[in-house]
Amino acid sequence: MSSNLRITCGTEPKRGSVHSPEVVSQLFESLISPFGFFKPSSGLLGELNLSRDVYSLFSLSGHLEFESVHHLSQALSDLDSISIALLHMDSEEFAIWCGLGKSDARAHLLRLIGEMQQARIRVQGAQLQLNFEQSQPSAKALFRSLTQLALVGVACDVRQLQRAWIDSTRTSLSKKWISQFESIRVFKGRGDLVEGEPLTFTFHVKWKGVGKSEPAIGIVRNHLVIDVGGVRSFVELPAACSRMEAGSVHLSKNKFEVDFSVKESEWPRS
Amino acid sequence: MAPIVSDERDDEKSISDLGSWLNSMGTPPSITGLMPSEITGLDMAPLVSMLGGVGIKSGVRGADTGETTTDEIRWLPIID
Repeated sequence: MSSNLRITCGTEPKRGSVHSPEVVSQLFESLISPFGFFKPSSGLLGELNLSRDVYSLFSLSGHLEFESVHHLSQALSDLDSISIALLHMDSEEFAIWCGLGKSDARAHLLRLIGEMQQARIRVQGAQLQLNFEQSQPSAKALFRSLTQLALVGVACDVRQLQRAWIDSTRTSLSKKWISQFESIRVFKGRGDLVEGEPLTFTFHVKWKGVGKSEPAIGIVRNHLVIDVGGVRSFVELPAACSRMEAGSVHLSKNKFEVDFSVKESEWPRS
Repeated sequence: MAPIVSDERDDEKSISDLGSWLNSMGTPPSITGLMPSEITGLDMAPLVSMLGGVGIKSGVRGADTGETTTDEIRWLPIID
């Protein structure tokens, strides 16, 4: 999948260079409305520090600039968090939240979700360019940032990374670090529920490099939340999980597994 | 909710519109800067009367009722 969008990370954005469609203004108007802003969701939206970077993702410009890879990752994470929150809201809740009439709210909510999905598709198909002229990250910090970026579904071409590194430092990346960067894989955001012992299941999620990233893993409604340094990705759980109790998470190098046990009281016996 | 009214003359001036109030509540400039002036310039008085008691059913822990939210993230124990 590709789009005509080009994203540059590592260049300080020019003030006032972003032009966003009206729907973005409406989004922020909704978020900061007295009904929504001062009583935000404590789960998904409450801890968000919405930034101009999220705003930028909606831009129809062919070229977006982010201060760093981490800023891009965080913006995508915030966008996904908002999307999940909105998808769990019915139009009546949304109407209360942003102070709209119910019928207007339904149309507005659907349009907003559509715009967010389009923004996500454009970014995932974008050509990503790294630029370290303004600030030079350490290889370790860059590895962590690119892991976060992979977690939110965006890949980085290692050859372009090497060129950007040489341009800014006049030195080459070590083979060890090249190998590390090449090992990063874009997270697919899917998993499989496998039956184990009677009344116990395991949800398997493959993600290369998970063992090195020290993620926090949690559950909100019907989604797994994977958090690496504040950047979050979401995996939809099978419907059956809603009648199960989540247990521990087992981390290994390239995957993690979440234990689920069936709540017998939730299942009618024949 | 933080108090909106202050005895200080400067504070009275600073909370006369929504934008100033948002800033006084700690809202990041990155958000208030994005708001259209028609919004930031709104008179606070009618808004104050509307505040309180209205929340999102699915996302708000009611300060008064102790209601548990349904979209809080429940972090799971991790075994390496």
